Amino acid sequence: MKTETEVRQSLRDWIVKTNGKIRAEDLADDTPIIDRRIISSLQLMDLILMLERLSGNPIDAEMLRPGAFSDINAIYRNFFDTAYAQAN
Amino acid sequence: MNGFEATVAKLCNTSVRDYINPYSYLEWPETIDVEQWYTSPELISLYGTPLYDSLSLAEQKRLSFYEAINFFSLNIHGEKSLIEGLAQRLYRKGNDTISPYIHHFLDEENKHMTYFGGFCMRYAGKVYSDRKMVFPREYAPGEEEVLFFAKVLVFEEIVDVYNKRMAKDERLVPIARQINFLHHRDESRHLAFGRLHLKNLFAKYAPTWPAETRDGVSEYLKNYIATTWKEYYNPAAYKDAGLNNPFDIQEEFFRSDVAKAHRKQISTACIRFLTETGILGEVPQV
Repeated sequence: MKTETEVRQSLRDWIVKTNGKIRAEDLADDTPIIDRRIISSLQLMDLILMLERLSGNPIDAEMLRPGAFSDINAIYRNFFDTAYAQAN
Repeated sequence: MNGFEATVAKLCNTSVRDYINPYSYLEWPETIDVEQWYTSPELISLYGTPLYDSLSLAEQKRLSFYEAINFFSLNIHGEKSLIEGLAQRLYRKGNDTISPYIHHFLDEENKHMTYFGGFCMRYAGKVYSDRKMVFPREYAPGEEEVLFFAKVLVFEEIVDVYNKRMAKDERLVPIARQINFLHHRDESRHLAFGRLHLKNLFAKYAPTWPAETRDGVSEYLKNYIATTWKEYYNPAAYKDAGLNNPFDIQEEFFRSDVAKAHRKQISTACIRFLTETGILGEVPQV
């Protein structure tokens, strides 16, 4: 099981690699990756696959709240923070 | 009546003539043996790989069952989006010609989902999750319309190649073969309609678009084709079939040469149509 720091780093690495243009130092945990079109809707399938692999849980895109992928903080909260998931 | 109107009328007549009751047409076996063929071996996503060859015949057949669950699941998700989009277009201003056929389209897509859902829920107790999402955005005039029907076409053309082959494959358990046959029977009409309608829409709107919109449509579709194909390689199905490291399998085999050759062969007709009409600016890698 990865630590929170490792998960956030994996997400950051994936976003930088997938986008191909953004530099790692320009990507903060609150950078809006959807609104700024850093990640497209079609790239989300790969992100979901990566999140399933990291979290060990299947994800149903239809059941997600809007904003679940808005930035790294939101992704971490929605898919890895058990306390947050239970409260919401 | 112009050519398009005549075709729509003909398709409507055929839909009325071929109307079936989906609840009495198929005879569902009470139980099934998952170690039979439910997907033609050559269409299994891992076919032709060393991993596939290393499986016993029983394991290959078990994988063919979960690949069928995946194929039927991705059909359900694709058809749900299609029904949503078609319903929005029913009786919309300017759609007088196509609205009568949209009624049949909706009816037939709903029937297909009862076949696919019936199989998945009866025999696997589940439908695999959808991993696709679409974000709202601004479109140029007609762009959303062209993209909707182009996406429908990509999804249905690929699916139909599978349906056609499996409808004739006598190795398959009858219920799996029948579902593929019934889907293909209706889809052949949907494809004929989709090709004509998309061609007309693109000819109407594309000349009004700036180059960046045309390029954007082409680029989006290129990525959509890749994403559509990715759904055929589902780690959840590999896991259910008893394979270890399902995510590694998905990543590795999606990129393999044998998988690329398979996708290229299946996508040929669809990509030829999209490039010949100019909707795709170039032949994409699949």
